[in-house]
Amino acid sequence: MPTALITGITGQDGSYLAEYLLDLGYRVVGVTRRTSTDTGSRIGHLRDRIELASADLLDQTSLLALVEQFQPDEVYNLAAQSFVPTSWEQPVLTGEFTALGVTRLLEAVRLAKPNARFYQASSSEMFGKVQAVPQNERTPFYPRSPYGVSKLYGHWITVNYRESYGLHASSGILFNHESPRRGLEFVTRKITYGVARIKHGIDRELRLGNLEARRDWGFAGDYVRAMHLMLQQDEPGDYVIATGETHSVREFCELAFGIVGLDWQDYVVVDPAFYRPAEVDLLVGDASHARRVLGWEPAVNFEELVRLMVEADLALVADEIARGVIRRETMVGVG
Amino acid sequence: MVTALITGIGGQDGVYLAQHLRDRGVEVWGLTRSGSLPPELSFVHATPSADIRNQQELEGAIAAAKPDEIYHLAAQSSVMASWDDPVGTGDITGLGTARLLEAVRRCAPSARVFVASSSEVFGEPDRSPQDETTPIRPASPYGAAKAYSHHLAHMYRRRHGLFVAVGILYNHESPRRPAAFVTRKIARGAVAIARGEQKELRLGNLEARRDWGYAGDYVRAMHLMLQQDEPSDYVIATGEAHTVRELCELAFARVGLDYRDYVRSDPALWRPAEPVPLVGDIGKARAELGWSPSMSFRQLVNLLIDAELGWASSLPVPQLGDLLMDVVISDERSG
Repeated sequence: MPTALITGITGQDGSYLAEYLLDLGYRVVGVTRRTSTDTGSRIGHLRDRIELASADLLDQTSLLALVEQFQPDEVYNLAAQSFVPTSWEQPVLTGEFTALGVTRLLEAVRLAKPNARFYQASSSEMFGKVQAVPQNERTPFYPRSPYGVSKLYGHWITVNYRESYGLHASSGILFNHESPRRGLEFVTRKITYGVARIKHGIDRELRLGNLEARRDWGFAGDYVRAMHLMLQQDEPGDYVIATGETHSVREFCELAFGIVGLDWQDYVVVDPAFYRPAEVDLLVGDASHARRVLGWEPAVNFEELVRLMVEADLALVADEIARGVIRRETMVGVG
Repeated sequence: MVTALITGIGGQDGVYLAQHLRDRGVEVWGLTRSGSLPPELSFVHATPSADIRNQQELEGAIAAAKPDEIYHLAAQSSVMASWDDPVGTGDITGLGTARLLEAVRRCAPSARVFVASSSEVFGEPDRSPQDETTPIRPASPYGAAKAYSHHLAHMYRRRHGLFVAVGILYNHESPRRPAAFVTRKIARGAVAIARGEQKELRLGNLEARRDWGYAGDYVRAMHLMLQQDEPSDYVIATGEAHTVRELCELAFARVGLDYRDYVRSDPALWRPAEPVPLVGDIGKARAELGWSPSMSFRQLVNLLIDAELGWASSLPVPQLGDLLMDVVISDERSG
């Protein structure tokens, strides 16, 4: 039974990947940091099937001890400070965690289990001001946020460890991938959760930034399959993982409101306060390399993704109302 | 009177830059870990001691100096050493810039900042010569850290409106280079052999080509970048590539010897990822800064040899045992 180590297991991708690997018969070890708030809601249902170990990407010694103890066959580095606006407020912390954390973990693997296979979660944010459309593994990078800069460092250092130390280290350049487990600060989840609250009579409007912003949105469950496939190849490499299609925030709203029988134009308010600084250009991925080498392609299309998310949030909000977490009467009229 | 603060003032570039600025009537402050400076920098004001890994100390140093200009030169500056300590290199050379720029944003947002980038950010470029638009593709932990620093400088320029100039510096040498760098190693070896103190000189790949300039020229460019109306990126180089073999030929000829009788190429000393020729296109620096190098390759080699022959009486040269960490460690050594 192979052992997989996952950092960032409490995040969206971590929880999907853990489920996927468990179903394949892996022993899954999730790396968590001690925090004062409960971050385990996404893996609550997996608690009895995974092992949790405490280590911190900011602490080299803890990572070395971790790899020494568990001797993993595969290491998935999904942990990051992954929210772009936060990276503007806390660029140093973002760099410590999202950039240098990768080196610390790679170093731990190199010293304690050099034949382990390593996956680094890279990001389409590295393309930033795009130099070509669509983007593939050879497109030059031009990051435009401290998050993108940090992820790019993580990418290069992964390539370094592969080329110079001979590690089986792969970098997955993942475009946006969403799910009901996406954080509420991301626009897709903000919309589907907002739609659910409006449908349940809690809110009367949804405030959003630039509706014309376009993204290549896939389903997180599909993307974790690609991560695993990369580590099953004889040779490590870099892979763009994307759907190859873009849709606007407006289209996302249209579909999401349409699913609950509402017209988005009655509820969506454009608020310039939500405009992202340094808005990225047309990010759309060319995943033909992954299709050819890994045999990977997405299974869930855009419409299915939106429906999946809206339905999950309708159930979530209904449950929150039932448990008294949110109450209709106090919320109506506030917005 | 203009006030300038230099990080990494104990290194090769720091010393030349301090002297250059003093000669132009600038009040020079130096940031060091120990809070003390070498005797040759007696004209420099020392800030309270500050470590590039400590945000608060950096802010304290900037508050004390109240600089109009900041030259960020502190780095773990050796590519070779970065293979042995990728984490420390990322922390000092990469994250150090994040901490410094964040400190500038908070404490001295109107100061003009020079950030030292490197030709190593190009790694193994697909074109030659390289200019400011060449894609960044680092091939060493040092290059990755410098690329992080380089990209992050752009974030502060664009988003926060800071005056941050980036100098993409190609190899620049002087008698102040530590002995682990190949130019100094060759000069030292040629002189030792001429004096009968050494029998042979073991080097790596003799066909490795580099664009080698004189450090004294390069610090002039740094100063010029901060006198422009707008901050920008500039390649600073000579535009000529020479092989290690050519360097040996000139160096040994200067002491009346034929290098072929003494130089051995030792595969153990080859760099793990030997980059293809890095040669800079200095068209932009020439046109906008009016800068060009003053010293030819032959003059540079002669300078290195002559200094080696008489260094005890004239130039303060780092000791052989200090080797690689020229900037960071030189602070400790001086303290």
